[in-house]
This record gives sequence, C-alpha cells and structure tokens, in this order.
Amino acid sequence: MRIVTPTGGTAGISVSGVSRNFGAVHAVRSASLEVRPGSVTGLIGPNGAGKTTLMLMLATLLAPDAGSIRIAGYDPLSDAAAVRARMGWMPDVLGAWPTLSVRQAIETTGRLYRMPRQQAALRTAELLAITGLAPLAEQPTRVLSRGQKQKLSLARALVHDPQVLLLDEPASGLDPAARADLRALVRRLAGEGKAILVSSHVLSELDEMADSAVYLAAGVTASAEQIARAQNSLRQWRVRALDPARLAAAIGTVGLGADRVSVDNVGTLIAFADEAEAAEALGRLVAAGAQISGFGPAVGEMEHTFLDLNRAGTSGEEGRA
Amino acid sequence: MSATVATSARQPFWGGLWLIVTLELRQRVRGVAWYVLLGVFFVIVGFVTVLLWFATNALESGGGGMFSTIIFFVLLLGSLVSPALSGNAINGDRDSGVLATTQVTLITTWQLVLGKFVAAWLTALAFLAAALPFLLFAVVLGEVSFATVAVSTLVLALELGVIAAIGVGLSGIQTRPLFSIVTTYLVIAALSVGTLIVFGLAGLATQSATTTTSSDFDWNNPPDDEANGRWTCTDPVVYESTVPRFDYYWGVLAANPYVVVADAAPGSFDELGNPTDLFGWIATGVRSAQNAPELDTVYDACADGGSPQDVNGGNGDYPTAEEMYNDAVPSWFVGLSIHLLLGAGALFWAYTRTNTPARRLPTGSRVA
Repeated sequence: MRIVTPTGGTAGISVSGVSRNFGAVHAVRSASLEVRPGSVTGLIGPNGAGKTTLMLMLATLLAPDAGSIRIAGYDPLSDAAAVRARMGWMPDVLGAWPTLSVRQAIETTGRLYRMPRQQAALRTAELLAITGLAPLAEQPTRVLSRGQKQKLSLARALVHDPQVLLLDEPASGLDPAARADLRALVRRLAGEGKAILVSSHVLSELDEMADSAVYLAAGVTASAEQIARAQNSLRQWRVRALDPARLAAAIGTVGLGADRVSVDNVGTLIAFADEAEAAEALGRLVAAGAQISGFGPAVGEMEHTFLDLNRAGTSGEEGRA
Repeated sequence: MSATVATSARQPFWGGLWLIVTLELRQRVRGVAWYVLLGVFFVIVGFVTVLLWFATNALESGGGGMFSTIIFFVLLLGSLVSPALSGNAINGDRDSGVLATTQVTLITTWQLVLGKFVAAWLTALAFLAAALPFLLFAVVLGEVSFATVAVSTLVLALELGVIAAIGVGLSGIQTRPLFSIVTTYLVIAALSVGTLIVFGLAGLATQSATTTTSSDFDWNNPPDDEANGRWTCTDPVVYESTVPRFDYYWGVLAANPYVVVADAAPGSFDELGNPTDLFGWIATGVRSAQNAPELDTVYDACADGGSPQDVNGGNGDYPTAEEMYNDAVPSWFVGLSIHLLLGAGALFWAYTRTNTPARRLPTGSRVA
C-alpha cells in the first residue's frame, strides 16, 4: 500500500538545513537527514553535538531557527498536532508520574492521545506484553529501576502506534537481554514500515539494528564524502595468537611497518586500509607460523567512522562544508 | 490517510482538560498527607467556631460574626496552603520529566495550563467544603441573610481561584519550583498585607495642613444682668496642624482580598446602625477612608445660642456606620476585577512560556 501524505513528501523523517541557537550557543548549525519508512537510522555524535536538540526539534517541542523539518509529511511548526498524532518520542530524560501504576501510566498516555478508554486499556495490555513489563503492571512507577523506566518510556512512545519513532538513547540502562529484545523490537517495528531514528552512544548496538547512520558533530551532520573518507581511513584490527612472541616475529617477517602495529594489554592491533588488505595479511601471518587464534576489526563500522570523523572535527574545521 | 489516530476527529476541549485535572489531582493531592491536612483544617475551624460562639455571644446576637470570621479563616488557610500546592504545577513537572512527554501528546497547551489551574482551584475549594458544616451552623444560628451567604461564598471561591491561577501561572513563568512557590507567597502577601502597609504609610506620609478657627466663651467675663444671659465670645483663635490623607489611598485597600470579600457582602446593620458581622465592620472602615478630612474647621461657641447650655456638643452630627457605608462608593468589584485580571494574565503568560514548539527558552532551562 502506498502511503500518501498531503505534501507529497516522504512519509518518514526529512530534515534539511536545520539550525537552532540558544543565545550565543549554536546547538545545531546545519543538520540534514532523511529516514525512509521501514528503515532504522542511527544518530551518532559526541556529547554536546546537538543530538538531543535535534531530537527535540523533530519531536515538535523546539522550533528551529532555520531549515525545514517534515515528520510523516507534516511540518512540526505549522501542524504540530498532525505530527504528534503520527510520531512517538522516547526522551533521554526518564520521567514518569510517580503515583501512577505502570498500567495507569501507559493507559493515561493513550488517553492523552485521544484514545477511547477501552482502546487505551487494550493497547496497554499489548504494550505491557511487548516490553516485558507485565509483571510490574500494578507497581507504582517510582519503584521502577532505570532499565524498567526505559521500557515504560518506550511503551509510552508506542502507545498510539506511530508511523515515525524517535528514540533518544533507548538502550542505556538496559541489561544485555533487554538490549537484545529492544534490538529485535526495533527491527520488527521497521519491518512494519515505521521510520525510526535512534540516537545512541552504544555504537556496536546501532551497528546491529540501524540500516544507516547520521553523524552529528558540533551541530553539523557529516556529508556523504566525509563519511566515505572516514570509512576509507586506516582501521585497526585486533590480532590474537597463542604465543605473542611468535606473532611479533611473524609480523616482522611479513613486512608490516612498525607504524601500523601497536601492542596493548589485551593483544596486538594492526591497522589496515580495508578488508582485502587485512585478509591478505592474515594469510601471510599464518604462513609465517603465527598461531593466530583471533582476528577481527577492533571497533565496529560505525564506531570507526564516528571516531575518525570526531578526530577530524577536533583537529580542524576544514572538513565542514 | 493511514494514521491510526484520527486527528481530524476533534476531541472536545473539555475532555482533554478534565483528563489533565484528574491526572493532576492524582499526582499532587491524593494521598494520606492530604487528608490529614484537611482533617487538621477541619479541627481548627471547629475550634475557632466554638470560640466564636462564646466570643460573639452567637446564641443571642446571631451567627453573622461567626459566619464572616469562618469565611475569612478559609481565605487565610487557602492563601497559606494553595501556593505550596499550585506553585510548582508546571515547572515541577518539567523537573520530574513528565511535562515534555505530555506535550508531545495531543493535549494542547491551553488544556495543560487550564487543567492544572482547575485542579489547583478544586484543591483550594476542598477547604471551603471542609468548612461547610461550620458555615451552615452559623447560618442556622440566624441573622445571616441569604444574600450574604451567597455573595461571600461566591467571592471567596473566586478569590481562591485567583490564588490558584497566580500559583499555576508563576510555575509556568519561572523555571525553578522553589522560586515560583516563594513568589506566589509574596504576591499573595503583597495583596493581603502589603496593601495595608502601603495604605497606612502612604496616608501618613501625605499630610495636609489644617486650620482650626475657634472662638469659645469668654469664661472670665460671665454675662451680667444686662446681657440677658448671653455670653460673650473671645476673639477667634487659629490653630494650624496637619492630618494624614488616607482618602487619597483608599483605592489601594480595594486590592486586598479580605476587603473584596467584606465589601462584596451586602452590609447588615442593627437598629443603631452598627454592623452585625465582620464584613460590615471592615467594609465600613474601608469606606470611611474615602471621606476627606475637613481642612478648615470653624468653631464658634456663640453661634448656637448664647450660653453653654445651648451647645449640644455636636454629637448628633456624626453619621452612623450604616450611613457612612451607604454614602460611600463600593470598591469590591474594582478589586475583584484587578484580581481576576492578575490571575488571567499569569495564566496567559504561563501559556506563552509553555507553548511548543518553543521559540524562546528562558535561560538555563531545558525543554525536557
């Protein structure tokens, strides 16, 4: 089924040239991104890069100074109600009405979205099951742990079955099992055709659930060419061998430059330009008699890009278009 | 359109508002502490009622004094408790992280602000409800007109609403809950006590010169037989002094909530023209301040006749409280209008500060 929106634009998230100042502080200078329905995009950036400010603008809470935003085809500035009906926001600040039970909190949120009482109750039961909060349904929200509050916050964002989801640090405070559940849930929601934007510091997490990523540094989203350049820079691979001494000897014989190799407490790190070079070097190391027990990228794809862009951002501003 | 929630189907404004009211009451009010507070209030009002019973001799003189005092007592307690309960309605929510999550729903900013206001008002009205048995008791004792009951209760309820509106409004205007609660108390204190201070000090600071010209009987020369009992008078003596001009500032008192309640109640007076309740005394006092003092007083003892026996001392010239009350201009609707404007203004300002998407943010505040 084709999703028709009034402006004819995308049904997901479309942001172009958005900026926002707080007095003299330029929280977001120029952000542009696109999230299509059915996809998950990671929003990545260092602390203070403007991720939350951008999220707040997408969530109809903050007006941008310049640029345009479309959520499900609607402008949050001129038609906030239309956006709110179609958008679910999970904030990075965990707040819940302390005297309400978990069930009441979700149900009330549904009612605030103008759902009839009965529909809100049904949807609440559904969400309690999805998020695994069912055993805590009658507990007051103030007794919840951080991770449980996180789940409640997610349930609230989903209560009106929105087309667009904005998740601000959804995985923080979750245990590994809950993270796996969250990952599966996010993938499933994307499979249902929702456009999802996830901001997170846990980049390995995003690697596994996001189709693409937007890098935000000092309020500017990185351009495609910057990302390509960062991805093509040298990347470290972790090498483990049964005997570190033999590995060191083997590295010497295969002719890897000393500037490419570093050793830390966990093992040896070797920098390669791409996977082909890494695979070729692995073959030669094995042939040279290094008994290799582990060989793989030290950091994930996103983390590598993120760290590289971050380095570029702090060493100079020439990369900013 | 594929949206699962129909935005075009307009939920009645009041439905959403009431949702916020119930949510607010559940958050702030419901709980053991609240009922204990209400219980303590009930006991205090009961105690005051018993004291008033004896103090005003209510069985014989009627319940007017008792009724008016209890109304004032509810206003006093309301202005002591209400700011604490309403003064952090909006910024407290922002601090605990539930404001933004409410704002991204289909609740409008007016529904949010007005819902919190109505909840705060209902909370204050609970005190009036708790005092109801004692008010009824006072009415049963008699001498309280229906008009007094209706008008004073209604105006009291409105004044409690104004306090709630100022509290909720300031909580939307200021960022920190502690400051907005304190500011609410200060605004209420400025109206209740500050107006009295301004009235008193300004009146005393503005003095007018008065001259008193008097000529008394010449006591050294009593009339002889030829004078046929007619006394002679001395040459006029002129005294100069100053008087405070409270009549310039009586309008300040109109902004006092207690004066508004007292002045709004229809005056009730006994056969001697004296007020029968506290409302009457206060209203008479405030209205008498409207009269300018006489700046040129002329006293001529010989004018009334010719002998000290003819002088009646002028006692009959003083108006009774009832006459004074009826001759002066009522001021309560001016004061009430000022209060209603103040409350509405505070709520409107809170609306513009809370409305999203926010353009300007107060420094040091976060949206969420």
